[in-house]
Amino acid sequence: MANPAVRFQNVVQSFRVIQERPDTLREAFVHFHRRKPRSTHHNFEALKHISFDVPHGTTLGIIGRNGSGKSTILKIIAGVYRPSSGSVEVNGRIAPLIELGAGFHHELTGRENILINGLLLGLSKREIQRLEPAIIEFAEIGEFIDAPVKQYSSGMYMRLAFSVATAVDPDILLIDEILSVGDAGFRVKCFERIGNFREQGKTIILVSHDAEQIRDFCDRALLIHNGELIADTLPEEALARYQEMIGHHQPRTVSALPGR
Amino acid sequence: MLQLFRDVYRYRELIWALALKELRVRYKRSVLGFLWALLNPLMMMIILTLVFGSIMRFSIDHYAIFLLSMLLPWTFFSQALSYSVESVVGNAQLLKKVRVPKLVFPMAAVVANIINFLLSLLPLALLIVVLRFPLHWTWIYLPIPMVGLFLFTLGSAFFFAAINVFFRDISHIVQILLSAWFYASPIIYSLDFIPKKYHIFFRLNPMLYVLNGFRLSIYYGLLPSAGSIAMSLACGAAAVAIGFGLFRRYQDIFVFYI
Repeated sequence: MANPAVRFQNVVQSFRVIQERPDTLREAFVHFHRRKPRSTHHNFEALKHISFDVPHGTTLGIIGRNGSGKSTILKIIAGVYRPSSGSVEVNGRIAPLIELGAGFHHELTGRENILINGLLLGLSKREIQRLEPAIIEFAEIGEFIDAPVKQYSSGMYMRLAFSVATAVDPDILLIDEILSVGDAGFRVKCFERIGNFREQGKTIILVSHDAEQIRDFCDRALLIHNGELIADTLPEEALARYQEMIGHHQPRTVSALPGR
Repeated sequence: MLQLFRDVYRYRELIWALALKELRVRYKRSVLGFLWALLNPLMMMIILTLVFGSIMRFSIDHYAIFLLSMLLPWTFFSQALSYSVESVVGNAQLLKKVRVPKLVFPMAAVVANIINFLLSLLPLALLIVVLRFPLHWTWIYLPIPMVGLFLFTLGSAFFFAAINVFFRDISHIVQILLSAWFYASPIIYSLDFIPKKYHIFFRLNPMLYVLNGFRLSIYYGLLPSAGSIAMSLACGAAAVAIGFGLFRRYQDIFVFYI
């Protein structure tokens, strides 16, 4: 595979600032009536001409402050956003561990949710049926698998979601600050699984505030600031520049639990 | 249009699973569960039969069946539309996090209601037998107006679900539109009551041809004319072409507006 797993070329992602767009017909009419151009909003550039390559088998860390554009990069790779300009190339099957359990329905049982979530992630029904026992076993859900997920503890919920998301045998794994999930024992299992993916030569892209995770896991790191790529270098170096940038007084960030 | 068939085939398992999910959630936590899909229309039919059969008598023979032959497809249309108009916006959390084919949401809402609609034909057949109304052989013609109905509903579903992303007023407007449309269609009355000179206006209603197909084959035991059949299918195809065309054109930017 000569092509890189992921290639960004001059990617710009701009968003309209949300309050200023006409949300209702009335506002649209008012705008029309006053002959104001509808585009009175201003554009916010979340990413400004970002270019980088991620070769197959690399583990890439992305660091930066909140709102710097890290998650936007992941969402573009995942295909959630289509960039405003520039080109993005993604070669391989993606497992987005961006928001675990985003597709879960609370009234449905664990088993029913495995099916729907797996289909949403692009698996076929047959593949899911084949993978189901392994998913249930890894998630350590036991007999709760046939109970509605609204009765699950948040740990069980995350375990099931992680288990489904990583069962797809991805080529590229996207991880957004989720590894603070569950109890210590399960975290170890998650890291083990991610470690396995690494050994199998899969590409991993990890967004994290946790310097240790970046240092231990990654081969390379991107430092993003205000939508610009500041550094594309070794993890140690990127972390050093990050520390410099935010000032040394910043306490080590405890990554927030992902919301549902 | 070809693109639509390809996508539907590709995501058929997902669409089916989402449709079943919708029905399952609708009937969850009720003792009778799925039976409600049958009981609900049956109860409605019994009430209508009692009201129009013994209390208010119309000049139309077996008014309940006359009414139901069009009311059931109409109810399907109006419910499917009410569900699907919110289907993209309602899945905002999902669309913002994972890449999913957007067309599956309105599609699943329509499919769920198709299942409900087909189930409601069973109590209708039962009622017809119980009332000793003839069960016409023309029932076997029903799949043709059904195709027209499902296509028209699907096209409208795509159309309104897409616009609702940009203007949330649409879901309210659809409700008003549906109730006006209901009275403008000859569902509770017959076109025969309307002076001939106004018929031209009724013919502009794209739902008329499909609804007529249902009433003719269920109530009158007749087949619609070839022209009417062609019109019902053409309206369905046109709705899909316009609705899906619009949906596809804007689906990539939905995520920025939800």
